[in-house]
Amino acid sequence: MRPSLRILAAWTIVSAFFAPIAVHAHESSLGALELREVRHGAYVARWTIEPTIGAARVDLRMPPHCFFRLPELDCGEKGLVGALTIGNLGSRMSAALIKIIPMEGEARSYTITTANPTVSILGPGAPSLQSWIELGATYLNYGVDHILLGADHLLFVFGLIWIVGVGRRLIGTITAFTIGHSASLAAAAFGLVGVPERPLNACIALSIVFVGVEIVKKRRGEAGLTARYPSAVAGAFGLVHGVGFASALAGLGIESRLLPAALAFFNLGVEIGQLAFVLLTLSLLWAHRRLGAVLTGWGGLVPAYAIGSVAMFWFIGRLLRVLELD
Amino acid sequence: MRHGSAMKHWPRSTSAGALALIASATSANAHIIGARLGDFYAGAAHPLTDLADLILWFALALLAGSLGPSAARPILLFFPLGLLAGSSVGAEVVFAPAGGLAASGMLVLLGLLLAAGLRIHRNLLCVIAFGAAAMRGASNAGGMGPETNRLLFALGIAIAGYVAIALVAAATVAFRGEETVSRGWRRIAIRALGSWIAAIGLMMGGLALAS
Repeated sequence: MRPSLRILAAWTIVSAFFAPIAVHAHESSLGALELREVRHGAYVARWTIEPTIGAARVDLRMPPHCFFRLPELDCGEKGLVGALTIGNLGSRMSAALIKIIPMEGEARSYTITTANPTVSILGPGAPSLQSWIELGATYLNYGVDHILLGADHLLFVFGLIWIVGVGRRLIGTITAFTIGHSASLAAAAFGLVGVPERPLNACIALSIVFVGVEIVKKRRGEAGLTARYPSAVAGAFGLVHGVGFASALAGLGIESRLLPAALAFFNLGVEIGQLAFVLLTLSLLWAHRRLGAVLTGWGGLVPAYAIGSVAMFWFIGRLLRVLELD
Repeated sequence: MRHGSAMKHWPRSTSAGALALIASATSANAHIIGARLGDFYAGAAHPLTDLADLILWFALALLAGSLGPSAARPILLFFPLGLLAGSSVGAEVVFAPAGGLAASGMLVLLGLLLAAGLRIHRNLLCVIAFGAAAMRGASNAGGMGPETNRLLFALGIAIAGYVAIALVAAATVAFRGEETVSRGWRRIAIRALGSWIAAIGLMMGGLALAS
């Protein structure tokens, strides 16, 4: 292990001990509103997934020409077109899916998130350039948010950097992880593979435990699996993490014709967030090397055990959920 | 030629743009981040909303880096701990009235130390770092709302402080280089920067007294 990594790792311990609190934010609080057209311009609104804050407390703002009082929505001759927004999105309600079911034609879905709290409701027909831009902005931001709030994913990437070190091998390892999670994200989003969320989350936690063990092995001078085949290990675990990313999209019930684009933007957002984290970690490694900041002796082992312990804590917690003992 | 000229100037314009962007951040921006990414990131972003934090952190890291790696290393521990302590205490006590003046005084002190090129003892630097961090931590704790998770918010501030101090101090060490005559101008540049920091501190102090 590079000495300069040690002091960085010491701070990781501090953050990691608090990460179990932060990781709760990873499970987004959703709401899903269905608007079913009963006559031209008139809809019946119903929360199919009621947000945790309660349906009555959602500050839903319809286009100005519409009259809205649950369960009634009347937009007159003009119909339901224009800006729709939720004024009080936050940590207790991070996203809402609006599904519009017209009397004729296919149902349409729109996603409102804290990053993109306003969507434009379109009339029937092909999506316009504006709607593609809105879709891109929504899912790009959602992807960035998802990775930044995913302490488990970030800790796994951090562990990989620690084992592999800085250099060409790191590029290969991170690329393999990216390919792995992108492939499984796409497969899961298109319904080609399906893994129940709770066992999957437990497996993700277990992957970090594995990385923690591998770090200890490296510290002892043993060549673990990750040290010998970093790309293969990163790619394989990337497949697991990718299905986890897909679970964030699954709850939103995106319209099938928009799914490929939404998926591409979401994945791009995840990559942007991941790249920012890798660059920040590498910058800190450089800074510690420059300052000669080193933890000596047993101090070098503690962070590895801390990462492993926190991941084990997550694993046990998630396993209890699988067994429904929580 | 035009292309080359543009390439030569883009880092300056980018830096100016980035500074303008940071300076234009308000506490409302931090709260938007809080709503979007939670209290940890809100805490990490909150110092960006106050110019006093940005300049004070920068000045302290510059001073630590200018004294060399051995002086800068302990700051990696003391500065974030000071921020944690300050933000924990600050959540309990009202600090605002003297905050601006104290930050200005600290800026003047750091600027003068930099400008004079004094090689202060690293223990003294640790005391200054802890004091400045505790002061700014307490001030930033004012950004917490009633529903804010105090622990995550304080941790966000501390981690942001740690990252900022580590990067700027390391960059200063790299910039200042070894004790050679050929790089003497770099040390002069750091001292000149110190005098600007002291001047900014004086102006901010004047504004704090006037308001």
